[in-house]
Amino acid sequence: MIDFAVFSITIIAVWSVLAISLHLQFGLTGLVNFGQVLPFAVGAYGTAFAAAHGLPAWAGAGIGVTLAPLLGLLVILPASRLAQDYWALVTLGAGEIFRLTMLNVPVIAGGDEGTSVYRFQNADLAMVLALTLLLVTLLFARRVGASPLGRMLRVLREDEVLAATLGRNPFRLQRMVTAASWVMAAAAGVLYAHVTGYISPSSFTVLETFVIWTAVVLGGPSTITGVLLGTVIVQLTSVSTRFVAQWSGLPSDLVANLRLGAYGLVLILVFLYRPQGLIPERKLRYDADRL
Amino acid sequence: MRKSLLAACAVVLLSAGWGETGQAAEDAIPVGVIANLTGTDVQSSLDMVHGAQAAADKINASGGIKGDKIKVIVEDSEYRPAAGIEAATKLFDVNKVSAVLVFGGSSVTLPIAEMAQPAGKIVLNTSASSAKLGDYPGTLYSTLPLDDIVGAQLGDYVAKEGVHTAVFIVPNNTFGTGLMDKAAAAFTAHGGKVLKEIAYSEGQPDYRADLQAVQRLKPDAIIGAGYGDDTRTVFRAARELGINAPWYVAYPSIFAVEDPKWMEGRLMGLDNGGLDSPLAKTLSLQATKQYGAAPRPNYYYAYDAMTLLGLAIEKEGTTAADIKKGLPEAVKGYQGATGSIDWDARGQRINPPMDYFVFRNGALQPAPAP
Repeated sequence: MIDFAVFSITIIAVWSVLAISLHLQFGLTGLVNFGQVLPFAVGAYGTAFAAAHGLPAWAGAGIGVTLAPLLGLLVILPASRLAQDYWALVTLGAGEIFRLTMLNVPVIAGGDEGTSVYRFQNADLAMVLALTLLLVTLLFARRVGASPLGRMLRVLREDEVLAATLGRNPFRLQRMVTAASWVMAAAAGVLYAHVTGYISPSSFTVLETFVIWTAVVLGGPSTITGVLLGTVIVQLTSVSTRFVAQWSGLPSDLVANLRLGAYGLVLILVFLYRPQGLIPERKLRYDADRL
Repeated sequence: MRKSLLAACAVVLLSAGWGETGQAAEDAIPVGVIANLTGTDVQSSLDMVHGAQAAADKINASGGIKGDKIKVIVEDSEYRPAAGIEAATKLFDVNKVSAVLVFGGSSVTLPIAEMAQPAGKIVLNTSASSAKLGDYPGTLYSTLPLDDIVGAQLGDYVAKEGVHTAVFIVPNNTFGTGLMDKAAAAFTAHGGKVLKEIAYSEGQPDYRADLQAVQRLKPDAIIGAGYGDDTRTVFRAARELGINAPWYVAYPSIFAVEDPKWMEGRLMGLDNGGLDSPLAKTLSLQATKQYGAAPRPNYYYAYDAMTLLGLAIEKEGTTAADIKKGLPEAVKGYQGATGSIDWDARGQRINPPMDYFVFRNGALQPAPAP
């Protein structure tokens, strides 16, 4: 049982990093990234590329974490003159283009068959690494959120023109946030690859992006505590329903479908009654004399 | 906050597992079944679960294995690798199963095999067919032949039917492209010419863009593979484009015919055979009575997998090491629902019986072997 708990905590920590990454982009800056799976996949595929070509694991991690922010900057380039709504389309498309490239170019990392990568044999070590990564990203996101930069990002989220009139370059700020948050997501991808031991394009579909979005919207996109709570609820719902079928005696397929129904119901209820998420952003009050 | 969240998470997981561990101890022999109860190809997956349960029920009805009954524990893979790994981790660690039966594509089965191998567990594959599955000897055993076997037979079959030029249309995944590569090699070895290989993305609402090349090339035949809903959409696109070439496919039983009248005599193919045995017929009647419809072939593969597992446990014991030792013995002379099963040294099925079909009068009808 302990191994399963360790595995589940590891996975929750990995997805929490992805959720914090999305919090920085969407919750803080207002960037609607529907391709959040892309930096995650880039991190994982850096690892897979290294494994497929006989490179050491650290080289794979380096490739993934370096390539992700560069790719991020490339992806948002066409969106620089577009309203933030269009970011959703651009990032969604970019995620699919990357997945289809990995699917159709087997020389990178095995194509549709995927590739095996080094798998952590020590589950405790994987959990410690995942929790450490989560702690680092959490502290970083908190620091950004509480800084003058964080306040400006909130201004940008609410009104891009207002941010520009304050002498800031909105696109420069957006680039900065994208690069930082994509590094986080890529690091999560590297870790995920070493936890599962196998990488294939089917692990990085649009569905994964929407699992992250579900967690973020549920918990409250503008607060770190909210996105963490949302991730824990979504992941624990998935894990705990595995036990419901045996406890309740209900057919497994019925329970599996009820679980999906529960996700949808929870989202609808949150949209109706808690549109800001379970933990909404509080109004920040500053004493102007002390600023 | 972070610590309290993780602590709460651990408490929930541990409390959840407390009851499960106790339950596993009561259930003499827990066996895991991982199937996509949600996601893609759910109905075939449910048939697989029913087949595994039917074999377990039969073993239990005859007194179990040395007095111990088999307890089947079913987990959902959602047809996603991450969920499949989560399901396998739960079965291995919480339910203490030594072996799991897996239904799912290679994208789900391969990661499960990857984690089962170092853990010393056994995986019985009842549906995936990537040749790469043969890379886990001693861990992964298959009750259906892999793509290298079926693909080669499909290529031979089409060539022997007098087809000279063909276009391949398959889903762009391990199953589709793996099968296409082997079939194309066999077809060209007989002098056939492959005009084009089309690997389409699954789940599209329309495939006319993919099929327009076929319209231009005018092949003697189309060779393909695919899954239910996708194949229906592909057929619709072909019909609307006026592509009237015959289709030779692998596993026609998992194809969904869109327009039976148009498809009359146009769809042919080969499927894993052996399903005309008295045992298979009995099982089919039993399943039809219980679930209201005749089961798909995966029902029988799962039935054979569970029966072989039971035989291995009976011969050697319940640990994964015992099962690994017992499976090669169990399969010797075994006559199952899918005919006799022969495994190579890797535990992969060779010399499988094959059945040939043609679509007539609204259903697949047996056809003579070439």
